[in-house]
Amino acid sequence: MKTFLKTIGNVFKKPVTTKYPFEKTFIPDDYRGLIGFDENLCIWCRRCEMVCPPGAIVFSQDMEGKQTYHFNRAVCIYCGECVRACPKEGAIFQTAEPAPCALKAENINNGWNKLYTDALASRELYAAEKKRKAAEKAAADKMAAAKKEEENKTGIDPDIIAG
Amino acid sequence: MGRQYEIPIGAQHISLLEPLHFKFTTENEKIVKTDANVYYVHRGIEQACCSKFKFRQVSFVVGRVCGLCSISHTTAYSQVAEKLLKIEIPLRAKYLRMLVIELDRIHSHLLCLSHVAENSGFEALFMKTMQYREFSMELLEAVCGNRIQYDFSIVGGVARDLKPQVAQSIMERLKKFVPQLDELMDIYKNNWTLSLKNKGAGAITKEDAMRLNVVGPFARAAGLAVDVRNETEDLLPWKEVGFEMVTETTGDVYARNIVRLRELYVSIRIIENIINGLPESALITETKAFPDGEATVRLEAPRGELFYYAKGNKTQVLERLKIKAPTFSNVAAMTEAFTGNEYGSAPAIIASYDPCLSCTAR
Repeated sequence: MKTFLKTIGNVFKKPVTTKYPFEKTFIPDDYRGLIGFDENLCIWCRRCEMVCPPGAIVFSQDMEGKQTYHFNRAVCIYCGECVRACPKEGAIFQTAEPAPCALKAENINNGWNKLYTDALASRELYAAEKKRKAAEKAAADKMAAAKKEEENKTGIDPDIIAG
Repeated sequence: MGRQYEIPIGAQHISLLEPLHFKFTTENEKIVKTDANVYYVHRGIEQACCSKFKFRQVSFVVGRVCGLCSISHTTAYSQVAEKLLKIEIPLRAKYLRMLVIELDRIHSHLLCLSHVAENSGFEALFMKTMQYREFSMELLEAVCGNRIQYDFSIVGGVARDLKPQVAQSIMERLKKFVPQLDELMDIYKNNWTLSLKNKGAGAITKEDAMRLNVVGPFARAAGLAVDVRNETEDLLPWKEVGFEMVTETTGDVYARNIVRLRELYVSIRIIENIINGLPESALITETKAFPDGEATVRLEAPRGELFYYAKGNKTQVLERLKIKAPTFSNVAAMTEAFTGNEYGSAPAIIASYDPCLSCTAR
């Protein structure tokens, strides 16, 4: 009976729910929202990419060695592990802004998968190029050193012969 | 002897929260035999944790095992990883872990209670319980930054600190919640309509509970005093913060409701004690070691004892991770406790088990 009376009383009370799209819901100040990135502060150590559990961060690299940061808000779990791993404070940070929904036009799944593999491939390509250049340089250095030695030898030789 | 009929419930059913399948053999509406199938949502998480993810990332993966007891899984994994790394975490991190586990317990128990009310046909009480549960979700959001996936425990400590204004708001909201909890206690205890569906339904004796290795509120409702918080002191100091065992004797749906409600009072007291006596220390122990050897951890999740086993081999990736969820321990007793009940009360009994199938099947 008591419950019944309370139920009738509820008719005259205000609803406890909020009309969400028209009213703002409760979001705390330090909500785990979107991950921000400051290119000017980054030291390009790629530690955030290494620790990221779902793999939402990836760095691509062009042939000059310049790295570009990519972030997928639909893959990110907003754990903040990248922020904790970052050695340079402020280079990667967490905002309190909730992530917007992904749109079909963004092609956030397949597009991201392609971008991810492409980014890794671009880095490998750069590494291979660097290795090739280094090998070339080493070979050239070696050649130059050998030539110098030869010259030195030939430079000394007449004296020995004369001696 | 009457004719026997086989009636299934699940894997998709209007009154089931989870993909769970029960096959009842009934005789004149009375259940005589039950078969259960619980492996509908196998996701291969254990395998992923041992192959794809590094050991520090696994604490975020196991948080996705279950939405309701996410913090229990992450904490249990963090503890087992800390045992493998042979490190001791700061005291403040321990207290903050306990705080979030208890807040999580409040929201999980209230969800279970609301579903018992709903499946018993008491829709208004379902709404009321859910309304009162909202405060715990908002507090968890304020503490952890997210409503469901807390990602609070990490290997070596906790991810975030408790801000003073958040601590204050927790105390204020808990003070407001206590009269609401009294009201819920009154309804669940004394409401005549609810008692028709709940009293005597799905009862299990203490001997059966012991024989079938029941854990959690299911066991405590039958009078079996099993609670990991009472047994282990080394990882989290539960007794220091005022843990108290709650048991009932009848072992039916009604007793499970009362056990859950009384545990909420204990949880509130624990949270208040933690906030009043929160020690000052660092939040995380840094280490560069790799997991090595074997370790096991037991932790009291809202549904009962959660068990983690891990084996490391001095590399970034674990060799083996085994998760034994509380619902898995209870499946045998679940099928047993239906016997002799009306088929019509089966949904309420299932809800009162508080089954978590995503934990069980992983």
